[in-house]
Amino acid sequence: MTTMDPKKLKELEEAKRAWEEQCLKPALEAFPERRKNFLTDIGLNIERLYTPLDLERVNFDYEKDLGFPGQFPYTRGISPTMYRSAPWIVRAYSGFGEPELCNKRYKKLVEWGVDEIVMAVDLPTQVGYDSDHLMARGEVGKVGVAIDTLRDMEILFEGIPLNKLKRISMLGNSFGPIALALFIALGEKQGLQPEEFVVDLQNDILKEYVARGTYIFPIRPSVRVTTDVVGYCARHAPHWYPSTLCANHLNAAGAGSSKAAAFAMANGVCYLRHLVEKGYTVDNVAPLFSMFLDERSDFFVAICHFRAARRVWAKILKEKFHAMDPRSTALKITAYSHGGETLLEPINNIARITLAALAYVLGGVQFLYNASYDEVLGTPSEEAAKISIRIQQILAHELGITSTVDPLGGSYFIETLTTEIEREISEEFEKVEALGGAIAAIEKGYYLSAITEGANRRQKEFERGERVSIGVNKWRIETKAPYGAFRIDPMIETKQVERLSRVKRERNERRVKEALQYVREVAQGEGNLVPPSLEAVRAYATIGEICDVLRSVFGEYQAREYFSAKGS
Amino acid sequence: MRRKPRILIGKVGLDGHEVGARVVARALADAGMEVIYTGLRQTPEMIVRTAIEEGVDLIGISILSGSHMSFFPEILRLLREYQAEDIPFIAGGIIPAEDVERLKEMGVKEIFPPETPTSEIVRFVKGLLDERP
Repeated sequence: MTTMDPKKLKELEEAKRAWEEQCLKPALEAFPERRKNFLTDIGLNIERLYTPLDLERVNFDYEKDLGFPGQFPYTRGISPTMYRSAPWIVRAYSGFGEPELCNKRYKKLVEWGVDEIVMAVDLPTQVGYDSDHLMARGEVGKVGVAIDTLRDMEILFEGIPLNKLKRISMLGNSFGPIALALFIALGEKQGLQPEEFVVDLQNDILKEYVARGTYIFPIRPSVRVTTDVVGYCARHAPHWYPSTLCANHLNAAGAGSSKAAAFAMANGVCYLRHLVEKGYTVDNVAPLFSMFLDERSDFFVAICHFRAARRVWAKILKEKFHAMDPRSTALKITAYSHGGETLLEPINNIARITLAALAYVLGGVQFLYNASYDEVLGTPSEEAAKISIRIQQILAHELGITSTVDPLGGSYFIETLTTEIEREISEEFEKVEALGGAIAAIEKGYYLSAITEGANRRQKEFERGERVSIGVNKWRIETKAPYGAFRIDPMIETKQVERLSRVKRERNERRVKEALQYVREVAQGEGNLVPPSLEAVRAYATIGEICDVLRSVFGEYQAREYFSAKGS
Repeated sequence: MRRKPRILIGKVGLDGHEVGARVVARALADAGMEVIYTGLRQTPEMIVRTAIEEGVDLIGISILSGSHMSFFPEILRLLREYQAEDIPFIAGGIIPAEDVERLKEMGVKEIFPPETPTSEIVRFVKGLLDERP
């Protein structure tokens, strides 16, 4: 369906042809273009110029494709006023060392005005090993703060009531029920009911098997672990965000943003179907999901990617699940401004992060966090962490960026690209559906082959100089890479292990044993894993102890794989 | 004729970021080497044992978690303990320059930062293996 008068279109076509002949052709002869194709990371070619003819080419229709913000298909945004009412949630992903040390940084974040703290926890915690476990040696407190028991949460949030923040978050990808339980129990300690604060988890296990790697259990029981959290919140805390479908890590690993979004949506559909099978209605659970999108290679693709993803998700929920509640079809988006940062000349990363953040804001993001410019060197320094928050505040409150809804809507370029990307995501999503859905696509190696192919392509483009990194493969100055300013004291491991053994000495062992037995019984049956996890956490059982019980029931995912030369 | 060089690419510790390891594994394989990729969550002990069992000519470890100062000296120590210190050990990932210097003094042959072209790694590995007796 066209929205333009056919006679006008014809005139425009002729005018464009005349322009090409009279104006463009001589210009190209005098000043040839820098490249033959202006290809994006997702493989779409960017044209020299966009006009209403392109909108016609992609069958653009204002009412069908855009509509109004706050209404299906949400291309222009999920709320009618967007940032005029409130800017996005300013998040900070932060955590290092042990809880006492980290608490000092959290207090600073609150002072600087963040809306949400996302706890970065160390790797042993992420994969369910306590700080005194053999596999934890050398890793305690390194990429995040070490958390073993509820006591660590109490120390970490000392002086920071959970309701002081708009949301409070940790990833909890492999053990969502325990992560949720830790926040509920911490709220209890602070005298807060779940109604009084908001918890946000990543809790998306499927992507861990192909990117990121913090799985514990085999795939099927893991889907139950993830969805139990959503089911529990649907009944007890429907204003929480128990699962964030992650395209980010899939794209970072190599999938490209369109495929990454399609895979993340397929993962989400897998969780939704699982919940529907368990007896929840779509409109009970779909509003609790949000999505973590990412496009790091192209500014305009990033903007259009968000607009397109909202359209695709709204259609999936409406057409496949017959969702009735607008909150089910309106896709809430999280984003992380990062991607092109370099180790060399790291201050330049401030510009990269700012522009990434701007693209996400122009795309209509809800929850945003920025990388710190020195993150490539290790744990962010205080100064760098502060700058990353200030960048968001500047975007939100200076320069008028947030004064109107979807400021780029209607651009010939933006609307054409949005529609093209929508098609890419939809087609890829349907491919996964045809394979049998997300679990089948993971087991058949479909996700991984797309990721590996993309990673190799990006590396080759970088080496050929087609993927420009200023100061690295263009205008490089030979200097030594700078030193990271911030180091984690190796004594932190000792301190944390000592704290853990003190908690174990002081707790009621019988209560711990009974709670762990309760976890086992529920895991062996069909019940929801959150209530027993909550009992265990309240009794100061460790994350490792609870995960060990679950390991003994569910087994562990075997990651080992042979990867030998194909010569291809 | 000498057999194809065999390379062990490994991830040590709990770090789950394996894009770099896979890209390097592919580049070395494309350059005609046999590459064994360990997958995630290996201990230094597992790395050294696999290297010896598989009879590899070189070990390459990727790490992004900042735990290199615990794991790398341990790998070097185990190589000596198992009398396999003739297997050269290289690494790549996010490793601050000051640590690079210290690790190279301890015996790590080379450490490649994130922005290294794979061709450079391939060239280095070939050079190192050509020096073998």
